[in-house]
Formats: sequence, structure tokens, C-alpha cells
Amino acid sequence: MTDMDSATSPILEAFETFRVELDDYNDRRERLIKASRDATNLSKKVIFLLHRVVGEASAHEPAVGKRAAQRGREKLREVQNLFAKMSTELKGDRYWRYRWQVSPGIQEYTEALSFAHYLEHGTLITLKQVEESLSDTSGIPYFPMSASDYLLGVSDLMGELMRYAISSMSKRGGRQKAAEIGAFVRNCKADFEMFTPNVRDLRKKQFVTGQSLEKIEDANYAVVVRCSEFDLPPEMLDDIVSQTVSTVHGGGVDAASK
Amino acid sequence: MDPQDLENISTMLESEVQLREKIKERVVELDKKARTVTGLLNKVHSTPFNSLPKLTEPVTQTLLSCQPITAALAEIIPPNEFWRWKDMWSNSIRTLVFAAGFVEYLTFRKLITIDQVSERLELPPEDYLQGIISLVNELSRLAVNSVTMGNFDEPIKISLFVKDIFAGFSMLNLKNDILRRRFDSLKYDLKKVEEVVYDVSLRKLSSAPLDIEADVR
Repeated sequence: MTDMDSATSPILEAFETFRVELDDYNDRRERLIKASRDATNLSKKVIFLLHRVVGEASAHEPAVGKRAAQRGREKLREVQNLFAKMSTELKGDRYWRYRWQVSPGIQEYTEALSFAHYLEHGTLITLKQVEESLSDTSGIPYFPMSASDYLLGVSDLMGELMRYAISSMSKRGGRQKAAEIGAFVRNCKADFEMFTPNVRDLRKKQFVTGQSLEKIEDANYAVVVRCSEFDLPPEMLDDIVSQTVSTVHGGGVDAASK
Repeated sequence: MDPQDLENISTMLESEVQLREKIKERVVELDKKARTVTGLLNKVHSTPFNSLPKLTEPVTQTLLSCQPITAALAEIIPPNEFWRWKDMWSNSIRTLVFAAGFVEYLTFRKLITIDQVSERLELPPEDYLQGIISLVNELSRLAVNSVTMGNFDEPIKISLFVKDIFAGFSMLNLKNDILRRRFDSLKYDLKKVEEVVYDVSLRKLSSAPLDIEADVR
């Protein structure tokens, strides 16, 4: 291991090359893990923001969802910029080499974007649309959007929708909304089912989605049972509920975001 | 879910499954070759050195017969997707690297280069290095068994060779991964070989003891 050896031995010369390659790999890996973590954190903040914006509204109107989605999209641009920066490290075959490092960030981003999309349109964002949002100005994707990242990302959306549905219940039009969300989640879960054999971890996500779905269903059931005790039209019930909520919570604004 | 998207994703996943099966077929063939060569090379430990060429010849032949398989693999992997699928054949490739390295050592007492083994399919250094670690593991066994067969010079050659490789590995900044753990095993191999060398030189059984003296660090 002396200097003389390293100058002469072809073995050591070869290992010199390996060292450079391994260092390059490890450094890039570290950078991508960090960047992916940043993308995850930012996306999480967007999800909170979306919950907050719809939670602050006192009633369910299409305009609220639209406003939330707009604010979410602005924030998501930061995440898109992060991915744009990462794309230079993911050129060619590198995307596949480092996919396990970047996939958590991509999935969380997909979740946030799909939530904004749902609030605005009431539909599930498509894989193509996610990919388009992660493309440069000439429409070339930063990296291939894998079906697995898409499906795992939108599976996490189901949990957010459960939270959204439950916290909506006490609002004007919220019970109707919760029923809609229940139906949406049920359909998505059914659609995702066929992909479980070919997407790693999707089965686990489906299990969690099932739990979320049950929570929505139980809440919807409770609403139906209670409503049957009052022989009133839904709008009047909305009035009673919002009055009660505002007297209990002194404004009713915080109630939903808790 | 959008019906069109549902279909797109199904097609995407379906073609993935098909490709995986095609790769799997090749990997099974490769695996068979890998098992054949390890089986053959096991006999090195009980084969006198002058009849080694008879043993390494079929190994070389089998290794050469892997080339059409790896070429076929390279053919079916879509552009840029090497890293997507490589885990499927890494194990077999590492075994083949080990076998090729073993033959190279037995024939020329030299370390096989990464270029020598990566002709048909891209070979990442990690896989090459893992194959080399297996080679060192095996050589420490051979050091013991060559003495049993009355070849007292071989442990000294092995010792020099293994020390060079160890010095090489020491230059790498290894992360806490498989390569790191396997590198840690090299120390024990080194120790084992040194003990054999010690026994042999203590009893003046070897004709070339001075070489190690020069290499003692």
C-alpha cells in the first residue's frame, strides 16, 4: 500500500478508476436523495395548504376548490423546479439507476398535484397529465413517469380525500360532498385493484385505501341515520348544522381544519 | 379513473410483464451456465496443478457459450433501461465474473480486468468487484488445499495476489452496503492465507519464501 505500489501495480490503477466511479455514484445518489426529500416536504406543505384553503371556506362551492387548486399549483411550481434541476442528474439510463432514490418525491408530488386536480375538477388526474406537469417548455418529460409512481401517488390521495370528506361534513353541502367523495374513492379503489399484481407495494396501499373508504362510509351512514330523525329538507339541515357549529366553535372556521 | 388512462396503464404494465418474462428466460439459461462453472471449479481444490488445464478448458468453453445469451439480453433491453432490469441477472453475472477471474488466475496468475469480462453486456464495477471478492474467498480455500496436495508455492503466490487486491479495495470509499460487508470478509481470507504461508515458510517447505519477505508490510 505504499506509493511505489500505486505507481506500478495495474491492479491499483484499475481500482483508482473504480474509486472515481463509485464516488460519483454515491455522491449523485446522496444529492438525489436530498432533492427528493425536499420535493416530498414541499409537496406535503401543498397538501396542508389545500386542506387549509378548503377548510377555511364555510360552504362547498366550486369556486372554493378552484381557488385552493390555484394556490396549490403556484406552490407546486417550486416542486416542479426541483424536479427540473434533478432531471440533469437523471438523464438517459440514470433515471432507472436512481429511481428508488427519487420515487418518494415523485409519489408525494403526484399526491399533491392529484389533490389539487380533484378539488378543481372532481376527477382523477391522468398519468399523462402528471407527466406533462413534469416536462420542460418543449414538452419533453424530465424523466419517464412510471405507472408505479403514479398509482402509488394517487393511492395516497385517497387518504387525503377521506380527511377532506370528514372535515367537510359539518359544512353547507358537505354531506353531499362526502357522499360524492365516497363514491369516487370506491371507484378508484376498484380500478386500482387490477394493477396490484404488477405494482410493488400497491396492495398495501389498497389496504389503507380500504380503511379510508370505510371511514367515509361510516360517516355517511351516521349522517343518513341522524338525518332520518329530522323530517327536514337538506338545506334546512345545513342551516341547523352550521348554526350549531358556529355557536360551539365560535366561528366554525377552525372546526374543519382540526 | 379515466378509461383511456386505465387502458394505457394496463398496456404499460402488461408490456413490462412480458419483457420481464423474456429476460427471465435468458437469465435462467445464464444461471444454468453459472452453476455449471461453479460445479467444475469446485474440483480445483482436489486437482493437481499440472492437470488444471484439463479442468479450466471446459470452464472457458462454458463461459464463452454465455456470450450469445448476454448478447440476446443486451438485444431485448430497451435503450436506457439497463438499470431497470439489471438486478435480474446480477447474481449470475457475478458468479460468471468469479469463474472467469478464477480461470485467469489459474492460467496466468493475474487479475482479470473489467474490460475482459464486460464484452457483451454492460458490467457495473459493483458487480465486477463482487465477483472478485468471491474469487478471493475461494483462493483462501485453495491456499489451504494446495498445501494438502503438496503444492507449497501456491499459497505464497496467492498471498501476494490477494494482498494486491486487498490494497485495491482499501482505496475505495465504500458505503455501508453489500460491497462493504463483503469487503470486510476479505480480512479473514487474508488472515487465513497468511497463516498458511506462515506454516509453509516456518517449515521451509516452499522454494520461494523470499518473495513474501519482500512483500511484508
